[in-house]
Amino acid sequence: MIDGILAGLYTVMLPTNLMMVVIGCFVGTFIGMLPGLGPISAIALMIPITYGLEPSSGMILMAGVYYGAVFGGSTSSILINAPGCSSTVVTAFDGYPMAQKGQAGKALALAAYSSFTGGTLSAIMLLIAAPALAKVSLSFQSTDYFALMLVGLSAVAAFAGKGQVLKAWMMTILGLILATVGIDKGIGVPRFTFGLTDLLDGFSFLLLAMATFALGETLMGILKPADTSATEQSSITDLGSMKVTKEEFKELAPVSIRSSILGFFVGVLPGAGATIAAFLSYGLERNIAPKDKREEFGKGSMRGLVAPESANNAASSGSFVPLLTLGIPGSGTTAIMLGALISYGVQPGPRLYIDNPEIFWSVIISMYVGNIVLMVLNLPLIPYISKLLAVPRTVLLPMIIFFSITGVYLVSFNTMDVFIMIAVAVIAIFLRLASFPLAPLLLGFILGGLMEENLRRSLMLSDGSLSFLWERPITLGFSLTAVLVIVAPILLTLFNKYRNRPLKMQESN
Amino acid sequence: MKLNSASLLCRDRVGGLIFLIFCLTYGYQTSLIPSYPGDAFAPFTARTLPWMLTSAGVLFSLLLIVMAQPEEKSDATLDFDWRLLITFILLMTAYGFGLTWVGFILATSLFLLAGFWVLGERRKSVLFGASFPFVTAFWLLLTKGLDIYLEPGYLFLSL
Repeated sequence: MIDGILAGLYTVMLPTNLMMVVIGCFVGTFIGMLPGLGPISAIALMIPITYGLEPSSGMILMAGVYYGAVFGGSTSSILINAPGCSSTVVTAFDGYPMAQKGQAGKALALAAYSSFTGGTLSAIMLLIAAPALAKVSLSFQSTDYFALMLVGLSAVAAFAGKGQVLKAWMMTILGLILATVGIDKGIGVPRFTFGLTDLLDGFSFLLLAMATFALGETLMGILKPADTSATEQSSITDLGSMKVTKEEFKELAPVSIRSSILGFFVGVLPGAGATIAAFLSYGLERNIAPKDKREEFGKGSMRGLVAPESANNAASSGSFVPLLTLGIPGSGTTAIMLGALISYGVQPGPRLYIDNPEIFWSVIISMYVGNIVLMVLNLPLIPYISKLLAVPRTVLLPMIIFFSITGVYLVSFNTMDVFIMIAVAVIAIFLRLASFPLAPLLLGFILGGLMEENLRRSLMLSDGSLSFLWERPITLGFSLTAVLVIVAPILLTLFNKYRNRPLKMQESN
Repeated sequence: MKLNSASLLCRDRVGGLIFLIFCLTYGYQTSLIPSYPGDAFAPFTARTLPWMLTSAGVLFSLLLIVMAQPEEKSDATLDFDWRLLITFILLMTAYGFGLTWVGFILATSLFLLAGFWVLGERRKSVLFGASFPFVTAFWLLLTKGLDIYLEPGYLFLSL
């Protein structure tokens, strides 16, 4: 393990890779700041660039972008009440009221310190948890993997939000359906290609990620009317002091530590991710806060800002645990990273820890370096970076579209990909308008191939019987978890309906 | 719940219906996947997963159709700028053709110029400064810096 850590440290400390972390954090911060564009889009935009790099450098760049985007999202949440991504929605609850009170500088500094604490604690936990889990997962067989993927996909759907579980399932199925297009890997039969040679290789993962997120989100920005930016300007130009007093530090440190630990464990769960971690920690802190402090929540409470910021950062690290050790992404963002790793020819999973320890460890170590970069370089530069928010959308939107299209075109040099991308982006817009979540689609698409492969092996071994789902204890455990995750939301809905019925009857009487 | 045309044709129900049709078409296409002799006895074929997905897709879309709740009336959709979006889609499509016919620099510069203009940018310094010089610099970075070969447009090749 020590050898691996040293190899990772050596890889990260290479000047090129250090530069990747710095560039990643800056670019991520900028893209994350743009309202509507989240970490998924930021990473999708980076993929074409990483194709020319070593796998470890590419992953380091993407990890930096991920961190930067989450941090950038917090900045726009605090300054203009427009979260760059869903995980920083909670940050706006108290961050924006603080900015309105003239404490934008302090809010930004607190966000950076909390992110740093979250990042540091989760990096330490990752250092312990990831190798342990990687060792356990070495004993996994294809049946376990298949059941585990079921858990991952069902968890993503279950955590999709109220009223969206069914739609998230449909999107997961759509993702899996899209993954079946092209030559079947087992027998070599073309499927759903309609005689088109362009479809023999299946859909490009980059194209799908770019069209549904980077391009789709930008086109949504065009579709929605422009926001008035008068209030934005006043917040940006007047940040106020960034100083945090000793008393405030003493009060907030336990909040940050608690939220980081909670955030990490929520992040490790497949499907849960940074958004749920942020909401949970905010709720937890509000519940355990003294009464006078509790009333401040939603009106500019520092606890209400520190808790989600620590949690979302810790959860971002936590979500790397299932990706690196099991090869199962827990969120849309890590799903994109999995896709990128597969494109490099690297198969994440337990073997990654053994075959490519430099990638495994360099990603973990680069996360910590990324945190330091965010803290030391980005925080002092925030007043200047935030000025970028003032770049008019008339210039910004066409530029992002240009980068999205060029990103796909420069990989294949095939204009057909551009047209497919436009078509997919248009479909994505309608899906967004109908409130269908798109992250499960991406997750289904990326896991589709692996899932079919493992299902094939499992069914071959069990001679077509589904008994493989309960024959091995590990598989049985995963299968039961998947069933529980699928059934729980339905049971909860029925339970709530049953509980509310007497109330409604009383009201009608 | 009262049933009327609005609640029958709510957004979720229409979405579910479209997905159902899509899944049925997918199912039909699955039946067209060529099979090999002996496939009937094989525990897993190229059709196995697609059949499973068709069944799951049909089940979920039927559930959505049955369980869909009519949405509350909102004016939000009326505020959407569909004309602008369609203009941009046409612009992007033209850009796709332009990449083949007039080459990277001209197509990209014209796309950006038109994009800025359509979104309401009228300052000449921005219109021309952020298009041609920016794209030329980007092209130089790609071709000279990263050694990526970008094919000239067909129109220039034929000259």
